[in-house]
Amino acid sequence: MPMKKFINDPKDLTRELLEGFAIAHGDAIAIKSEKIVCRAKPKPANKVAIVTLGGAGHEPALSGFVGPGMLDYSVVGDIFAAPGPPKVIEALRLANRPAGILFVVLNHAGDVMSANMAMEMAAKEKIPVKLLLTHEDIAPGANAPAEDRRGLVGAIALYKIAGAAAEAGKSLDEVYALAERFSNNMATLAVAMKTATHPGSGLAIFDLADDEMEIGMGQHGEAGTGPTKILTADQTAELMLSRLTAAIKAKAGDRLLLLINGSGATTLMEMYIVLRGCKTYLDAKGISIAAVRCGEFLTVQEMAGFQMCAAKLDDEMLACWNAPCNTPALTVA
Amino acid sequence: MPETIGYQQVCGMLNAAAGQIRKNHEMLSRLDSAVGDGDHGTTILRAMEAISKTVSENPASDLKTLFSTIGWAVMSCDGGSTGPLLGSFFMGMSDGAAGRTELDYTGVVMAFEAGIAKLQLQSRAQLGDKTMMDAFLPALAALKSADRSRGIKAALEEAAAAAAKGAEATRNMKARFGRARNLGDRVLGHADPGAVSVSLIFKGFSEGL
Repeated sequence: MPMKKFINDPKDLTRELLEGFAIAHGDAIAIKSEKIVCRAKPKPANKVAIVTLGGAGHEPALSGFVGPGMLDYSVVGDIFAAPGPPKVIEALRLANRPAGILFVVLNHAGDVMSANMAMEMAAKEKIPVKLLLTHEDIAPGANAPAEDRRGLVGAIALYKIAGAAAEAGKSLDEVYALAERFSNNMATLAVAMKTATHPGSGLAIFDLADDEMEIGMGQHGEAGTGPTKILTADQTAELMLSRLTAAIKAKAGDRLLLLINGSGATTLMEMYIVLRGCKTYLDAKGISIAAVRCGEFLTVQEMAGFQMCAAKLDDEMLACWNAPCNTPALTVA
Repeated sequence: MPETIGYQQVCGMLNAAAGQIRKNHEMLSRLDSAVGDGDHGTTILRAMEAISKTVSENPASDLKTLFSTIGWAVMSCDGGSTGPLLGSFFMGMSDGAAGRTELDYTGVVMAFEAGIAKLQLQSRAQLGDKTMMDAFLPALAALKSADRSRGIKAALEEAAAAAAKGAEATRNMKARFGRARNLGDRVLGHADPGAVSVSLIFKGFSEGL
């Protein structure tokens, strides 16, 4: 069966989507060297740069968060595939500055491999850069080894918080420390309801029966904790949030950041209903929602499902979350 | 006069390896749908087309530069973990072939050994982890233990057969790396697409010589 997507030659997906992205947001971003997205107006070199990398096909992530208050550079790979080390080192050279670079990478095998190889080259070239891996997925268990836990939508909240600190003129060590603290206080779970088509191959990225959902499904169709029958929004919210709050040890009086991130085919209607269920659950526990976003930040083509990210906020993180940013996919006035 | 292979023969081997992947990339993507995200065929094809293109541009006259140019080209094609891994393999072959214009039997073994050593710096995967190492390591073992008097081509054929057997054996393995890892028992019965690709590449190497 031919795939039902508005595309041209699948070989050109990434280049063409970036060209369109640059037309839509030419005032905010620019494309360098085909696959490096940077700000149209660079941040002063006396401030820490924030760089990330990751495959395409997850729009608006990751490049949609390039702009004042968030990322400086995003290195784009092919669909669901990490960019190669040559492109990554090129971006680190572009971002190179005395203030240094915070390099945020979501824990996925290919991304980490490219990042590590580029970090080796950067060390030889004496580029001041610190690598922070996000791995807040708790599907394999909150205490599973870090390398087993994938980096999911929480990275976007981390860009926001680290980006605000960098914008405020904090040093690389300070920005890194804050980002690491946030990273250690966040947890994400994903749930999938319907599969997505890989736009390169035209094949489904996983199989799920009509009456099933799967909690823990990754953002490329990697398996989670096994399929279950479909639950209601309230049941799903409670099941996921109880695991998330336990993972970050949230207790009465704590202030949370809560993200409900649609995977592509789950409606905003559903996400609002889930968010309502989350609020009910948290109210009963005496935990407050201090920051919230509900929408599509990191998608998986037309996969139905969402990622729920919860993070415990302190005053500094909350101030950074509320600081202004202006990117194609997230704006805080 | 011992038998040796030079630049032209190596180019022939690389082109034949690319040809094998070109013939089989759809099958490789289908295999990947069972254990990963279904794009391995596309990714490995992109890497091998980059190799063909590099070879046709005739970037060098020496093997060291040929292999390092290929390694960089493979790493540049955004192939998830396939790019850095396969790229490292060719970078290692470049180190192994340094200073030689022709490879004799020992030189061939040394080049492959250096390639696999470099690859292992990037991947901690061992035999039995359901990765491309399950084809690479048996192929290297076969090269080392082959009967030298039968020549390089015969040894590469044995390496290709060992790689194919290794790839087939991944059917019964659970994955310890990459995306397949999260699938647990669900990957049993499905061969690892990376290992199958490597076995096809070795098949190409032996046919291209």
